[in-house]
Amino acid sequence: MKAFKAELSKLFSLPYIWLALLLGAFAPALFAALDNFAEKKDIIAGISTRLSEVGYIGLAFGVQGVIIVGVLAVSSEYVRESNENGGGQQLTTSLSVVPSRLSFMLAKGGAVTIISILLCVVAIFTTLTVTRLILGEYAPTFDWSKLLGVACYWVLTALLASGLTFITKSGVIPLTVLMINSSVVSLSVVLSKVTKLAYYLPDRAGIDMFMSMSDSVHTPLAGGFVMAAWAAVFFMIAAIVFHRRDVAA
Amino acid sequence: MRASVVSSSRKIMHMLGSELEKLVTLPLIWLTLIVAFLANMVLAAAFTSAGLQGASGAGAQSILNTGLASMGYLQAGFIILGILAACSEYENGQIRTTLTAMPWRGYQLSMKYVALAILTVPAALIIAASGVFYSFMMMKDAAAAIEMDKMIEALAGAAGYLTITTLISAAIGALLRRTTPALALLIGYYFIVSPLSEPYLPRIFNYFPDIAGHYMYMKPASDDINALTPMQGTGIAGIWAIIFMAGAIAAYRRRDA
Repeated sequence: MKAFKAELSKLFSLPYIWLALLLGAFAPALFAALDNFAEKKDIIAGISTRLSEVGYIGLAFGVQGVIIVGVLAVSSEYVRESNENGGGQQLTTSLSVVPSRLSFMLAKGGAVTIISILLCVVAIFTTLTVTRLILGEYAPTFDWSKLLGVACYWVLTALLASGLTFITKSGVIPLTVLMINSSVVSLSVVLSKVTKLAYYLPDRAGIDMFMSMSDSVHTPLAGGFVMAAWAAVFFMIAAIVFHRRDVAA
Repeated sequence: MRASVVSSSRKIMHMLGSELEKLVTLPLIWLTLIVAFLANMVLAAAFTSAGLQGASGAGAQSILNTGLASMGYLQAGFIILGILAACSEYENGQIRTTLTAMPWRGYQLSMKYVALAILTVPAALIIAASGVFYSFMMMKDAAAAIEMDKMIEALAGAAGYLTITTLISAAIGALLRRTTPALALLIGYYFIVSPLSEPYLPRIFNYFPDIAGHYMYMKPASDDINALTPMQGTGIAGIWAIIFMAGAIAAYRRRDA
C-alpha cells in the first residue's frame, strides 16, 4: 500500500505530467465538439447514420492522455541523470526501497490504473457536457454499459502502454505506435484491409466495447476480453523481462 | 597571435563537421532509420496488396500513390529522428561540452540543422524510393508504364517533405529539451489533430505545415479548387520550418544551458 501511494505521488510530480492530464481531460471533449458541429445538421434532420457514435468518437480518439501517463510512468524510471549528477537512474532508488520487483510493477500498474479511471471519469463528464450543450434535446442518451466500456478501454490502453515501456525501457516506440494506432489513420485499420486477423489487435477489439462501427466484428464483451488478454500478455512478458534484467542494463 | 585565429568560414566548416560527426555516431539515429526503412517496406507491402485487391487496371498514378501511401506513417520515423538529434544533447549534459567547444550558440545550432538536413535528404530519398520501387515491382503487370520524370518529381517532393518535417521536429525538440513531451506533441499534431480537424477547416488548413507539405508529393484530386502547386506547398512548409528553427535558435541563445 505504501509502495502504491509512493507511485501515485511519483506520477503526479513528473515533469510534463500536466500535459497528459490536460490532454486526457479536455481533448475528448474537443474532438466530440468538432464532430458534433459537423453532424448537427444531419442529426436534427434525423438522417444521421452516426447518432450512436456521437460523443464516443471523442472518447475513442481522446485516449492519448492516458497513453502518455502509462508511458511516462515507466520511462521516467529509466531516464539517466547527467554524468555531472552521478549518472543514476530513478529505478535504482525505487528498487532499493521496494526490493520485490513484482510488487513494484503491481504498484506501478495500480497507480496507472487509478489515474486512468479518474481521468476517464473527468473526460466522460466534459464530453457529455459538451455534447449536451451543442446538440441540446437531440443529444443521444449515454448508457452506462458503454461508458463502462470506455473506462475499460482507457485503463487497458494505459496498462498496455506501461507494459510495453517496461519491455523497451524507452518511451519512444510505445508512445509512437500507440498514439498513431489510436488516431483516425490507425495502422490497424490499414492492416485490417489485408488480413482479418487485424480485428484481433488490441485497439480494434477494444473499440468494439463502446463503438458499434459498421465493420465491427466483436460483441462488446468479447472485444473487452481480447483487449484485456493483450494487456495481460504484455504485462506478463514485461514482468518476466523486468524480473530477469539487471537494473543497470 | 594572428596565425592562431581561425577564419570564420573555416570555423563554420569545423562546426558543421563536428555536428555531422555527432549525428553519425549516435546509435539511435541509425536504429531509427533502419526501423523506419523496414516498417515502410511492410507498410508498402500492405498497401500494395490492398491496392491489388481493389481496383484492377489502375493507372500509372496509382503506383505512385500506392508507393507513397505509407508516407503518412513514415513521417513518424523522421519526427523521431529530428527529436533524437535535438534532445540527445540534453540527455547526458553533452550540451555543456558542446558549448565549451563551440561557444557561438546561433552558429552551432544552425550548423546542427544543416548537418541534420545533409543526413536526412539521402535517407528520406532511399526510404521513400524503396516503397515506390516495391509497389512498382508488384503492380507493373496491372498498371500502365510509369513516367520517369513524374516519379522523380514525386520522390524529390517526398524527400523534401520528410526533411522539412525532421527539421520542424528538431526545432520543437530543442525548444522542449525532453524527448517524450516533444514526441507526444508532434505525434499528437501530425496524427491526431491535423487529420481530425482537416475536414472542418479546409481553407486555412492548406497553410499548415503538414497539409501544405503533402502537396509536395501528392497529386491533388482534380476537382479540388483549393489545391496548391508543389512549389507553393514547398514554400509554405519551408517557411514553417524556418520559423520554428529561428524560434529554437532565439530561445537557445537566451536560455541557461
